[in-house]
Amino acid sequence: MIMEHIQFIAPEISLLCFALLIVLLDLFITQKRVLPVLSVIGAIVAATFIIVIWNTPPVGLFDKMISIDPFGLFFKLLILAATVLVILASHNYVLKFNKFQGEYYALLMLSAVGLMLLVSAINLITIYVALELSSISLYALVSFLKDKKSSEAGLKYLILGGVASAILLYGMAFIFGLTGNTCLTCIAEYVRGMPFKDLQEVPALMIGLVLIIAGFGFKIASVPFQMWVPDVYEGAPTTITAYLSVASKAAGFGVIARVLMTVFGLPVWLHNDWAMIIAVLAAITMTVGNLVAIVQTNIKRLFGYSSIAQAGYMMVGLAAMGLTMGTKENVTGGLIFFLLSYTLTNLGAFIAIIAISNKINSDEIEDYNGMIKRSPLLALGLTICLISLAGLPPTAGLIAKIYIFSGAVNMGLAWLVVIAVINSVISAYYYFKIAKAMWLGTPVTEEKVDASWPEWLALAACVVGVLALGVVPGLFMNLTTAAVRIFGI
Amino acid sequence: MPMQVPWLIFLLPFLSFLMIGLVLRPFLPRYPRLAGYVTIGAVGISCALSFWVLGAVISSPGHMLPVDDIRWAVVGNLEMHIGVMVDSLTAVMVVVVTFISLMVQIYSQGYMKGDPGYMRYYAFMSLFTACMLGLVLANNILFMFVFWEGVGLGSYLLIGFWFHKPSAANAAKKAFIVTRFGDLGFLAAILILFATTGTFDTGEIYKLVAAGTLTGTTLTWVAIGIFAGACGKSAQFPLHVWLPDAMEGPTPVSALIHAATMVAAGVFLVARFYPIFSHSPEAMLVVAVIGAFTAIFAASIGFVMNDIKRVLAYSTISQLGYMMLGLGVGGVAIGIFHLFNHAFFKALLFLGAGSVNHSSGTFDMRLMGGLRKSMPWTYITFVIGSLSLAGIWPLAGFWSKDEILMNAFSNNPTLFVLALITVFMTAFYMFRAVFMTFHGEYKGGAPSEHGDHDEHPQGPHESPAVMVVPLVILAVMAVCSGWINVTGFFNGLFEGDVEGAVHKIGFLEGFFGTLTHPLPLASLLIALAGIFLAFAIYIKKWISAEKITNAVRPLYTLLSHKYYMDDLYENVIVKTFLYNGLFKLFAMFDTSVVDGTVNGTASAASSAGSALKKLQNGQTQVYAFTIALGVVAIAVVVYLFG
Amino acid sequence: MLAQYGYVGILLICAIGFTVIIPLIPKILMVMGLIPTKKNPTKEGQYECGMQTIGKTWVQYNFRYYFFAVLFVLFDMLTIFLYPWAVNVTGLGVGGLIAVGIFLAILIIGYLYAWRKGALQWK
Repeated sequence: MIMEHIQFIAPEISLLCFALLIVLLDLFITQKRVLPVLSVIGAIVAATFIIVIWNTPPVGLFDKMISIDPFGLFFKLLILAATVLVILASHNYVLKFNKFQGEYYALLMLSAVGLMLLVSAINLITIYVALELSSISLYALVSFLKDKKSSEAGLKYLILGGVASAILLYGMAFIFGLTGNTCLTCIAEYVRGMPFKDLQEVPALMIGLVLIIAGFGFKIASVPFQMWVPDVYEGAPTTITAYLSVASKAAGFGVIARVLMTVFGLPVWLHNDWAMIIAVLAAITMTVGNLVAIVQTNIKRLFGYSSIAQAGYMMVGLAAMGLTMGTKENVTGGLIFFLLSYTLTNLGAFIAIIAISNKINSDEIEDYNGMIKRSPLLALGLTICLISLAGLPPTAGLIAKIYIFSGAVNMGLAWLVVIAVINSVISAYYYFKIAKAMWLGTPVTEEKVDASWPEWLALAACVVGVLALGVVPGLFMNLTTAAVRIFGI
Repeated sequence: MPMQVPWLIFLLPFLSFLMIGLVLRPFLPRYPRLAGYVTIGAVGISCALSFWVLGAVISSPGHMLPVDDIRWAVVGNLEMHIGVMVDSLTAVMVVVVTFISLMVQIYSQGYMKGDPGYMRYYAFMSLFTACMLGLVLANNILFMFVFWEGVGLGSYLLIGFWFHKPSAANAAKKAFIVTRFGDLGFLAAILILFATTGTFDTGEIYKLVAAGTLTGTTLTWVAIGIFAGACGKSAQFPLHVWLPDAMEGPTPVSALIHAATMVAAGVFLVARFYPIFSHSPEAMLVVAVIGAFTAIFAASIGFVMNDIKRVLAYSTISQLGYMMLGLGVGGVAIGIFHLFNHAFFKALLFLGAGSVNHSSGTFDMRLMGGLRKSMPWTYITFVIGSLSLAGIWPLAGFWSKDEILMNAFSNNPTLFVLALITVFMTAFYMFRAVFMTFHGEYKGGAPSEHGDHDEHPQGPHESPAVMVVPLVILAVMAVCSGWINVTGFFNGLFEGDVEGAVHKIGFLEGFFGTLTHPLPLASLLIALAGIFLAFAIYIKKWISAEKITNAVRPLYTLLSHKYYMDDLYENVIVKTFLYNGLFKLFAMFDTSVVDGTVNGTASAASSAGSALKKLQNGQTQVYAFTIALGVVAIAVVVYLFG
Repeated sequence: MLAQYGYVGILLICAIGFTVIIPLIPKILMVMGLIPTKKNPTKEGQYECGMQTIGKTWVQYNFRYYFFAVLFVLFDMLTIFLYPWAVNVTGLGVGGLIAVGIFLAILIIGYLYAWRKGALQWK
């Protein structure tokens, strides 16, 4: 049985092999430029495996430990794409690390393996192990610069991540204690068979649910579990900040959506309850993220808060998804589409920031003044991404927001959408603050800012993606609706 | 026919715009002529494809081609489609637009030669053409509105092409703002339509109207709103004031605006939503009355203008009034048929005026004269255009004008009389222009500062071949284009049955037989009388123009001040009422209430941000404590309220 | 439903009671005069046994101790996993052999890594 199933986790295995190969090669070669090439090849090989198994019908592997389905595969591709783009963007950045370049790539790939397992895990134990695999790699990566800020960030991430892990485990323990199972579908079966009509009647389930939401809330940076974000984002190497803000967050949403939808999807009172928790948290999350982002002067910190706010929008989609369970409506792909759009947009913005700050050695927004004169293309790319983050046409951000908000309105979350729209308006202010500095500010020096070709490639890919999603979203919507179809009944 | 063809008709000029704007202008600024070739190539292919579409529409049953929509995006239950609508109206319009545009683009190569903005010119021209094609092809009223505004934008950019001239910049602004008033009506109509029907799709709206779901007052208001938009774009009274000023743009632009794109958009819009109009007799009457009034009103101003382009401009307004009258009393076929013919001869006349200007350096007819000898081609083609416009048998203008008169006669005698007077006036002022420009002695052309481009010290001369060839082609069309309805073919096309319409009457029978009817004969004689009067005054000088002018001095002053419409708008309404009254009030409201609120909100948001920022104090234990507190808080809230 | 958590509640009460009562017992006995109270400096001190500490308690150890400790854990784990396999080597068959081979390979890469990075040298 194991041997039959092994082909389905070929993407993870191949990525793991490449990671080990990189560690090994790094010990014996002096030409370190081979390593990124190898890691990109590894990711492409993994992606090829995913595409090969794309059309297999959903199947649970290894005694219902891991599931192969369009939902998971979509996220795996997204994570791999983010990994490749981050590796490309790291081209110049790794020169900052005088040692451990091999470890950098290997850890990045190991973390990707962890995230990929996380989004396809259908057992509490696998979920936890995958989460730890990705987290431990990320703890190390965050402190990779080995300066004061980076180390502090790494340590904070480690401690708070540990707290969050503990909370998650505690929640899982409650669920296990109640149902006697760790496999998600078995738990779901038990939960559906319960003779209750209210969450208060089953405190164990309630506490388990709250703790699990809190544990994953840390990963997706929802208020009040978001406190680590600004500090870690600011201290971490910018490439890792980019990775954290997209891949890690996307996988977090993947796993929380899967757990909530499969385990707590039915009966109706249950999903009504958690959808409401998520909806309220979403409102608080986006408001807090946006308000604090306004007063930021450091671009990495600003993007930290911006990513919190964006998580708030995604949670709107998650809440709407939850409410569709058990109704005649189809589960909307809004959340998935938003994640796709957000991944490309945020990565694009970060790649431009990485390229710029590499040259000007500063993350302060005022140092971006007049960037349009120093590097027109980088400034243009960053501006397009900012427009998309603000959710204006003709970019992916607009379509994604429409998609998510219309889904939420359909599910009776109009109050939440009103808050979200107000928040979008607020967010436009600080996004355009950066754009304004770049287009209208007077540059400090006339010195040109240039990027290396992998950075250009990555940025171009992101910008093209952002515009393509904005102009012809229909092409991608089939993909996203296919991905969420597994939750339908 | 592959379904991509209608799409390509729109996309090619649009791509040409993008290509010039994004590739040629930034990267190959040394080769401006490339822009011209790209545009001409794109519009040329579009034109060929348009003829293909027209052919396909003629041969298809019901003269309607089904083209599948493209599903653009699906958001929840809301599906967004984009699609094109290919019926006889669309097919005729795309042919007119692309053909005229092609002629104008070829002609512009000569006219705009050496202009520093050559590439910009072609980029805008492509955009303008593309927007018009988009408007014509769209099957969705929302997209129509987008392209409608796109056409407005294109005209703004092109009228103000020489933006360093204050008059051009002002004219562009005027065109943009005046048409905006009409657009307000259009937008209101769209909103009412959507609110009542819940759809933007033109086909759906047709069905709903036919089924009687949309009736009564709502329908009338929708129709009036649409007509308000059409009034703005098609320069109908009282929103006509922008069109004569639009002469500040390069002359080929005027030709395009007047013949095929901007002003035709209004007439097209009424034709497109004709089912709505035809269900509302009130709306039809409004259209017909405004049309007839505009026709005679503008023609009377045309009497006294001395600038050849302004004469043509007022003639356009007048002719557009004719088309509206045709739509109001007859039907889509009647109005569009006149639009179709008018496009050819009006483009011809404008390009001819441009050619005259190219040679003499001025547009003032009093400074011209005798150009007949030095510019034979321009002269002949201009005369053909004028004859066609005057409605002389058997030229194009005759056929469409005749049909409008006939329908007006059977429909509303008052309007018919107005139209008949207009026929006389049109013939008179056009030949006044012809005689002043081409006959008599040359009066020296431009004084120094005039001129859109280089000086021409060598005196009047014929224009280069790139300019003459389009003139000749258009002249041929100005003669023949009317013949396609001699047998009732054109009407049949719009009524959905060519076969049935065509066999009623033979070509020769219809061609000559029309002269045996009293009505066409009368209108022909009236037109000839107009020409004769012009001949008598300006060639033979049997009657002195000055004497007449002096005899009716007050009337002359009224006319040459265009009925004081501009003064009324600018001084009374804009300056006194709006600027000093309403806008001051708005400004006060804006600074005190709106700004106050906005600034207050902004500072509140910002201080809230600062306060929340303080929580973020960098202490890990505080962060961990927040997490714990958060868990407890959520649990408690869920337990209490969940 | 809450009743099922009664045992947890009883346990909680016992735990709290125990922690509160135990330190109080000597005090109560003292008040009752059942135990003698003879004070001397040694008794008053924080520790009732051992030497006084010399220098600061915060001493920096050489971090190589941790290296060795971690590497030891690595091999310790190896043994833990190899032992059950060795016990049933025939029963687990070729599949088991391959699995253990992969496991060993990964560990060996780790060992190689430690070795190349100089973690095995004390300098």
